[in-house]
Amino acid sequence: MLEIKNLHVKIAEEDKPILKGIDLVVPKGEVHAIMGPNGSGKSTLAYVLAGRDDYEVTDGDILWNGESILEMAPDERAASGVFLAFQYPMEIPGVAGLTFLRTAANAVRRKRGKEELTTPEFMKLVKQKAGELNIDVDMLKRPVNVGFSGGEKKRSEILQMALLEPTLCVLDETDSGLDIDALKVVSDGVNALRSPERAMVVITHYQRLLNHIVPDKVHVLAHGRIQRSGGKELALELEKSGYAEFGEKAA
Amino acid sequence: MTVAVMKTKAEQSFAEGFSEVQEKLPGSTAVRAIREEAAQRFAELGLPHRRIEEWKYTDLRNQVKDALPPRSGEKVAMTIADVIVALGPLAHVDAHRVVFVNGSHRPELSSPGGLAGVNIQSLASALETAEGGNAAIAGIASQHSDAVMALNTAYMSDGAVVQVEAGAALDKPLMLVHIRAGKAPCFAAVRNVIEVGAKASARIVEAFVSLPGAAGDGQINTVTQVNVGEEAVVTHVKVAADAGEGVTHLSNWMSRIAKSAEYRGFQLTQGVNLARNQIRIDFDGEDAKLDLSGVFLGRGSDHIDTTLVVDHAVPSCESRELFKGVLDGNARGIFQGKIIVQQAAQKTDGKQMSQALLLSENAEFDSKPELEIFADDVVCGHGATCAELDKDLMFYCQSRGIPAEIAKVLLIESFIGEAVDQIDDEAIGEAVMAFARGWLS
Ligand SMILES: Nc1ncnc2c1ncn2[C@@H]1O[C@H](COP(=O)(O)OP(=O)(O)OP(=O)(O)O)[C@@H](O)[C@H]1O
Ligand SMILES: [Mg+2]
Repeated sequence: MLEIKNLHVKIAEEDKPILKGIDLVVPKGEVHAIMGPNGSGKSTLAYVLAGRDDYEVTDGDILWNGESILEMAPDERAASGVFLAFQYPMEIPGVAGLTFLRTAANAVRRKRGKEELTTPEFMKLVKQKAGELNIDVDMLKRPVNVGFSGGEKKRSEILQMALLEPTLCVLDETDSGLDIDALKVVSDGVNALRSPERAMVVITHYQRLLNHIVPDKVHVLAHGRIQRSGGKELALELEKSGYAEFGEKAA
Repeated sequence: MTVAVMKTKAEQSFAEGFSEVQEKLPGSTAVRAIREEAAQRFAELGLPHRRIEEWKYTDLRNQVKDALPPRSGEKVAMTIADVIVALGPLAHVDAHRVVFVNGSHRPELSSPGGLAGVNIQSLASALETAEGGNAAIAGIASQHSDAVMALNTAYMSDGAVVQVEAGAALDKPLMLVHIRAGKAPCFAAVRNVIEVGAKASARIVEAFVSLPGAAGDGQINTVTQVNVGEEAVVTHVKVAADAGEGVTHLSNWMSRIAKSAEYRGFQLTQGVNLARNQIRIDFDGEDAKLDLSGVFLGRGSDHIDTTLVVDHAVPSCESRELFKGVLDGNARGIFQGKIIVQQAAQKTDGKQMSQALLLSENAEFDSKPELEIFADDVVCGHGATCAELDKDLMFYCQSRGIPAEIAKVLLIESFIGEAVDQIDDEAIGEAVMAFARGWLS
């Protein structure tokens, strides 16, 4: 279970507060969607979950399976099951995709006390998962994400997720930039990972995604706080009314 | 009135040392005379210092505290197994080896037999003949001689004189292995003279390595002269990967590229406390191509200087330079790259880039690119960057479970990989990468 308690976050080098008291609980087995206007702090929340040090937690706590993860380095969080699919996946020139995936998969396996994958085992796994996501394995011989289209980058994030077998999946606008078919493929990939052992946080601007990945709950994040929570029908309502009602009163 | 400059301890020892060993150095009477002249020249010039423009970042007068004695006459007991240990990752490259220890040829440690299409002689024996001595001394090396080169001419004890026959395609790389060995610190001056005939193709590796247990200190002064014949294709790689604490590596590459030839040079420098890699390239015929790259890795108080001059004297040639450095601790990296495009050299295409990655606040990189262009129809450019490890990429790797130390190595490898990839021989490239990886971990 993910428990976010009264989380206050500011940018490490400035005094600008971004998250101003987030409370959110995502039990295992559930998918929660977070929607909200541009600049409201959704990606910030995602980064803070993953441990990016550009941000400073000034108050509150994040518990994963009952333990605070705030003091854990990003790689330790990854080993304990946290995975963030980036809104803007990064390019790593000079590091071949397969090398990156294998280094990551084995680093995580080591920390989880599992055997490392041999090259044939790893290749078999990659081929299978890449196939499911319509990713050409040849693309993975190229440097990580370099020259990938927007949609290809998003699919490559989901491939990483599938290989790392996380238990807390945070997807930051994984749907933006995907064409209609790719949206289906990626959603199927995400749905395949849904299990009673996994919690998922899906950040999106579009109700459309939630037709594919049906959430248990929808939260509206605006001005650094969860302003409203509801069922999947909340997304439909937002689609019509927009975020106007969260404008003035919130700040 | 002339003011006598005070000689430093090192300058004095190099000058006095010469008279002690001069008799034991190889060479005909003519060669002896040239050595003496060079020693005289060195005595006049002294070690280069920062008031000489090209040496403003690397003040040898200050940084070379003393001269170590040459020990080319003393034989350190070694086996082929030792050579393999000293070569490290380069031992995996299937090559024809010619081995030198502390500046002396060791045939018994070298690959038996010959290499088809090549004539290889030791410099020591070549210097005994008028013809060989001439080839070694009268070439381009003599035209751009500075104090460091003069020191080499005076003291050079051995090396390889290599002639690749016209039209020959070597089926294996030729590896010239220079090993530092033995408990006694020493100075070794070596010279390799390489002639590649027209339309021939050759891969040549120069390795400067040490045997585990070798003295922590050492001084190497090496000169390599390469003549790339018309339409020849040459890959030339120098690996200076020592393990000592106080090793000085002074090197000079002097290469001349003939018409329509292709010359790909690469230099790796690591584990060396003080390095000055000078490279001088002369284009001698049209439509020739140069691809020069390098990686330098420094930490602690390492000081690694690459200073190159590419002289486009003829039209329609292409030159590329890409040098990458990784500097940690108090290490200092220097890159000086001068591209000269003479008036006649129309249609020259020259690009140069130097990049450094600084891993600590105290590391420093100085870059001085220079373009001297006298022709009007040319495309030339240069750039230099200096950066720290990309924090965002570090986070991206770590968020995928890759621990910081491994992520760091991965990113550094990718940084230098771009330069290492310029080596068009997979096995050699892999060995170079393995050296770098060894240094990183
Ligand atoms: N590293 C940073 N430095 C400065 N400002 C930042 C930084 N990160 C986030 N911000 C600011 O914090 C606010 C929240 O940004 P965030 O990226 O979390 O928004 P978002 O909800 O994900 O928006 P979008 O829907 O456009 O992706 C914005 O005003 C943004 O400019
Ligand atoms: Mg965002």
